[in-house]
Amino acid sequence: MANILGIGNTGLIAAKKSLETTGHNIANVNTEGYSRQRVMQQSNVPINKSGLIQGTGVRVRSVERVHDKFVEQRLQKATSNESYSSYRHEELTQIENIFNEIDNEGLNNIINKFYNAFRELSAQPDNETMRSVVRDTANLVAKDFNRIRSSLDSVSRNIDSKIDGEIKDINAIAKNVTQLNVKIAELEASGSETGDLRDQRDVAIRELSKSFKIHTYSDERNNFIISAVGVGTLVAGSEFQELAAAGTSESESSNGMDGSIEVFFASRPAHKITQKFKSGRLSSLIRVRNEDTRRLQDDVDRLAFDFANSVNAIHRRGFVGRQIEQGADGRTVASDAKGPVTGINFFKVSDNPKDASLNLQLSDEVQEDISNIVTALSPNSPGDNRISLAISKLQHEKFMAGGTATIEEEFLKTVGNVGVEVGKAKLDAEQNEGIRVQVETIKERTSGVSLDEEAANMVKFQHAYDAAAKVMQTANEMFDTVLSIKR
Amino acid sequence: MSRVSENSNMHAIKYSLGKTKEKMENLQLKGSTLRSITRPSDNPISNVEALSLQSRIKDNKQYTRNAEYAELHLTATEKSIEQITEILNKAKEIALAQSSDFYDQDIRKNVANEVRQLRYQALAIANKRVGNKYLFGGFKTLSKPFDDQGVYSGDQGKMTLEISKDFFIPVNLTGYEVFYSSNDTSSKQPNPFEQVSPEDVNPTKVKDREEALEVSRDLASEKSDSQQNIYEERSNVFSLLEGLTNSLENNDPSFTQSLLEKFDESITRLVTMRTKVGSIMNSVDSSKLSNEDQTIDAQTRRSSLVDADVTELFSDITRQQNILKSTYQASQGLMSKSLIDFLR
Repeated sequence: MANILGIGNTGLIAAKKSLETTGHNIANVNTEGYSRQRVMQQSNVPINKSGLIQGTGVRVRSVERVHDKFVEQRLQKATSNESYSSYRHEELTQIENIFNEIDNEGLNNIINKFYNAFRELSAQPDNETMRSVVRDTANLVAKDFNRIRSSLDSVSRNIDSKIDGEIKDINAIAKNVTQLNVKIAELEASGSETGDLRDQRDVAIRELSKSFKIHTYSDERNNFIISAVGVGTLVAGSEFQELAAAGTSESESSNGMDGSIEVFFASRPAHKITQKFKSGRLSSLIRVRNEDTRRLQDDVDRLAFDFANSVNAIHRRGFVGRQIEQGADGRTVASDAKGPVTGINFFKVSDNPKDASLNLQLSDEVQEDISNIVTALSPNSPGDNRISLAISKLQHEKFMAGGTATIEEEFLKTVGNVGVEVGKAKLDAEQNEGIRVQVETIKERTSGVSLDEEAANMVKFQHAYDAAAKVMQTANEMFDTVLSIKR
Repeated sequence: MSRVSENSNMHAIKYSLGKTKEKMENLQLKGSTLRSITRPSDNPISNVEALSLQSRIKDNKQYTRNAEYAELHLTATEKSIEQITEILNKAKEIALAQSSDFYDQDIRKNVANEVRQLRYQALAIANKRVGNKYLFGGFKTLSKPFDDQGVYSGDQGKMTLEISKDFFIPVNLTGYEVFYSSNDTSSKQPNPFEQVSPEDVNPTKVKDREEALEVSRDLASEKSDSQQNIYEERSNVFSLLEGLTNSLENNDPSFTQSLLEKFDESITRLVTMRTKVGSIMNSVDSSKLSNEDQTIDAQTRRSSLVDADVTELFSDITRQQNILKSTYQASQGLMSKSLIDFLR
């Protein structure tokens, strides 16, 4: 009869443990990354008693978390891809805004104004007011080139500081993972349950995979290893390699800008790994900075350079709009009190396209005196509009891209490319978000807590507990019965 | 049966709500701007086309302004030629009347005064200004083209304007061709680009610009000797009137008579000039009209690219609102009840 009491007791213990676990599950229903746990119980080893095999109740073997590591890996990959494309979309949208001129005035509009100002000037070449309008419009063009280029530059700079912050986050998470590794190893050595800690580590790793694509495994000595794909091992058991980010000089940087942030291992500062990360936020930011923004910077520079030079080439041919002394042979003097009378540049240019859009401005001559705006091909001809007419015709002249495109076509090609890239990034971001949500749903289906299920389990375990108690009560009554015989 | 957990529920709800609301937001933006494109990525190709159409529209506006300016100039020119023609006709009548021996010397003296007056009138017309600009000075628009002797100090410059894309018209007649003589009656104008030699524009070929510069520079500034000779030989309006005055003062009817033919020549030339100006004005008119047509076409096209179709947009919004409402209802069904509510 003591057996009955003992069996009842094991049932009581098992039911209580199950109820505890159910409670734990319910309590953690909203904990991020929590995997539901369940009690693994087993019938006790039967004993042989006077030839009869007799059960001895139940025992709790372990509490396990319900977890599928392949789903977890898929989720990591999906997270990397999602954060890659959503960040790409976000950054490119900023760039897109620079080129958005559907409802406001952008470069295309202003360049058009510039040519039309010259067209207007060609109607009234002897009108001072028109000259100052031309100068104002030209200043606008220069300013808008400056605006586009410096906005692009600040996109790059912002990315720099984001990379910097990203690296700090990565180091903090990596450190956290090593601490968790140590704890898990300790607890496992003493045979304790580690489900909750493993969940925490999975959350940390998922956070890490937002930054770049990672690969995880346990080596033969049961060290948990995290490596960044394309870069190398980041965490091995209780050790981690610290990443570092620092500004570099223009010649060293990967996007040709002075002081741009590069990434390397803290232990090997000479070895740049900026462009080696795959997928995730980090490579997304780096790609926008080093490829997309870089290309646009070059395009805009090239545009500004060719634009300024084409105007200059014609502008230099003519004579200034003021009275010029002429010798007996009809030759003009080379310069007068206000400087040279011909060969004047309209825009200030350097001899190569680098940073041309950033530095574009009117030449000093034109800035100082509007009579230096040239309209006439022959000297002392205030009504001669041939130069201004020719400059206005540059609008339709295909001198860009090896003589195949006008300046407007070339600029619109750039704008078109930006639009297409952003459109693609948006689509990718939507798709990858969908995939991530799908995988996450799959994971939650296996690992997530269902309150309905837990409620049902609670009822079930409570009944089991009640019944086990009843068994003990019965055993108690049986003792009573036996003891009352003596009376 | 696939297992459903609290969080997988929440994911599904969040995702579908997020999607529907994002669409709603997008439609709301379109509804408030009435644009189907609000940023380049909405439709990169339409965006680019819309931008280039916008440029066309602005260009056309400028062409129209230029055309109006040309009209102003050409009207003034035409008027002046008309007046000159009248003066010459009057002078010719006088010459005709005075070419016989019918009038005596005193009367001729008086008539000579009248002719002198006509000559002053002609000179005033020749130095006419529009704004502060001399009409007949060629490129030298800011200095008086004719002195008191009727000597032309302007040049042969023909100012051209672009009044629709790649269509150039001359907007002035030089004093030389109106008051002296002209062989050139064609109104064809070269593209100014050819005058400034287009290869200059390509920034890669900047090198040998300087030499070419010297050669072509003095196109309009120098008067060649051969031109000078034509001046002397041909009858110019002022020397004609001068000649008539002299012949009247000298009482020389036979010389007066010999001038008649020259008067006819000049009048014919002026009539030709007027016809030329008239035909240019016609082409200005038709360009203005076609510019307007093009502008309207471009605006229509741009609107179809950029503006939202209002009916479609608002029916979309209504539909999306319904979807959002039913998403809420569906989510409510999932979220509000759980087994615990029924366990008593």
